[in-house]
Amino acid sequence: MTKLLTNGINRRTLMKGTAAAGLFTLAAPAIVRAQSEVIRLGTLTPLTGAGGPYGPVMAEAAKKVAETVNAKGGILGREITVISEDDQTNPEAGVRAARKLIDVDDVAAIMGTWASSVTTAVAPLCWEGETFLTTVSGADSITELPHHGWLVRTQPNTTLQGRKFGEFCIELDAPKVYFMSPQTPFADSQFSSLKTAVEAGGGSAEILIYDDKKASLRSEVDTALRTNPDMIVMGGYTPDTIVLLKDLYRAGYDGKLLGFGYSVNAKLVEAMPAEAVEGVYTLSPSPAEGSKGYDALTKLIGVEAPDTYTCQVYDHANLVILSMAAGGAATGATVRETIRTVAQGEGEAVSTALDGLAALEAGSAINYTGASGPCDFTEKGDITDAKFRYDQVKDGKITLLKIA
Amino acid sequence: MIFEVLPQALANGLVSGTILAVPAIGFTAIFAIRLYPNFMIGAVATVGAYAGWAANTSLGLSLWPALVVAFLVAAAVGLATEKVAVRPLEPAGPLTMAIASLAMAIVLENVIRFIYGNDLKGFDTPLERDVVWWGIRVGPQQLRNLATALAIMALLWAGLRFTRFGRAMRACADNPDLARLKGIEPVRIADVTVAVALGLCGIGGMLVGVDASVDPMTGTRLLLSVFAAAVLGGLGSIPGAVVGALSIGIVEELTVAFLSPAYRLAVGFLVILVVLTFRPRGLLGTATR
Repeated sequence: MTKLLTNGINRRTLMKGTAAAGLFTLAAPAIVRAQSEVIRLGTLTPLTGAGGPYGPVMAEAAKKVAETVNAKGGILGREITVISEDDQTNPEAGVRAARKLIDVDDVAAIMGTWASSVTTAVAPLCWEGETFLTTVSGADSITELPHHGWLVRTQPNTTLQGRKFGEFCIELDAPKVYFMSPQTPFADSQFSSLKTAVEAGGGSAEILIYDDKKASLRSEVDTALRTNPDMIVMGGYTPDTIVLLKDLYRAGYDGKLLGFGYSVNAKLVEAMPAEAVEGVYTLSPSPAEGSKGYDALTKLIGVEAPDTYTCQVYDHANLVILSMAAGGAATGATVRETIRTVAQGEGEAVSTALDGLAALEAGSAINYTGASGPCDFTEKGDITDAKFRYDQVKDGKITLLKIA
Repeated sequence: MIFEVLPQALANGLVSGTILAVPAIGFTAIFAIRLYPNFMIGAVATVGAYAGWAANTSLGLSLWPALVVAFLVAAAVGLATEKVAVRPLEPAGPLTMAIASLAMAIVLENVIRFIYGNDLKGFDTPLERDVVWWGIRVGPQQLRNLATALAIMALLWAGLRFTRFGRAMRACADNPDLARLKGIEPVRIADVTVAVALGLCGIGGMLVGVDASVDPMTGTRLLLSVFAAAVLGGLGSIPGAVVGALSIGIVEELTVAFLSPAYRLAVGFLVILVVLTFRPRGLLGTATR
């Protein structure tokens, strides 16, 4: 250790170090000045892991919103910078990234956390750091957290989603339901509301929680098939749903299958042999296709049919920017105070940040209606209204059945 | 109920255990010769899975030639990475090397992501329905995987047992100083061991990929089970790795069938705890030097 201290640093290195430190101190006020001029917002989306297919486009959408606002001179006389971090669809990585966004970048809001486990882990950092959090996670438990208004979500909660799953099973004349899911913060709440809905329709439901890191789910499939289900509902993410679908096919299961739209997606259908996904039903919160906000988003990012998460994060960015403009300050606390005054109410209906800013400047109240839906929030931070889309894989393509 | 479920669970465990055994052999072989745990195996398994996938879907190779490609690419990438980033740290000790290998695993995983993105890739193989023999359901692809894994193990065993190089490798593992006195070049032995071992991980990764799908985390998900298998069997013992992998595979499937899938890892590690309490060097491990 002594050797390390004496030999490791010689006089010359010490001099260099001191000089560098001096320069840094001189430069520091400039850095601080620059920071106060720019409004910093963060996106924390999964660029890797199970949410990897969604995160990059989500982050891009938020950046594009900021760019359009900057092109018109920003808000409060300041430019907006969006800093994107990767939560790796993993709570630990999410916490590290959120720490960086809050402590180092000093962002006023974090937008777009995707996996419920990540949002659950990151939320306390946000409310303690007075950073506003907007999320697309569905677990009921998230808005039950003691967040004191520091978060809102645009994704319908899993109790509502579970009920829709259950009702859809009954509608498809599949009363004997088996729910297979990895351990997620929403598996239990989703199953219990699914079960209630199925039982109300005269059916029955059972649950099996599996380990999503297993390369084969043969024994799990055996356990499920021993109950002779009419419908297997899959609650996992894409990688484990592929394993599950393949093992169900191998086992000769020919009953009905229903999964989340975010896991049984185009990428899954492409990666799977056609015969194993044919006929699978999917259910997902529906973006407000055909609405003004949706059209504005498709033009903005140049993607023909953006997924619901991209729509939601686009709404997050618009809402955060409008809240800051309406509240007159670029802080998380302002967003918390004013978000409901721009998101709902009797004001002028707007669907983009630019329209909203123009209306605010003209002195009118606004009601933002976005690409994902009306974006009206309850006191707890849940959305009040949501539509769902029901699809089925037909001839190797995900085909819309209905939006309801 | 037990007699109905047990044979099926055993068969499932045997199949998943055999696939685990291939990378576990690689892991333990590196430990035997190089005396450090190489955590790059997960990422290298992913490299193998992608190489096999590319050979299968882009070049149109069938599974067997694709396996050879998976082996060669994983061996080459693995050896190069080891020589550049891990081996220079040898003087700093095995712990430093293990940490360096873990770091390189993250680098490799992200390089794959950079090239192929996050999307899942599927092999161009038909999905076959299982066949039922004496009440036990087995998949043709699983059987082929089993046969592949067994053939590789047999080849490796024969290579170690009967060839000059195999004897030199065993000599190095047993007593490197004595081996050097006998004129065996330790660097060459290390190179070949690392290449073959990581090549085996590539094959393991591809077998898993054929069964499920390929994504940048394919191998990383295996890492814990492979490590557990090698430790259970006795680090540094190749037959031990096979026995360990089969035991882990069977214990995990029995847990799923009789207890709850949620306890799979817990029961697996409980078994390791019990075995290591009574046999600290693992099932077939020998005294460490």
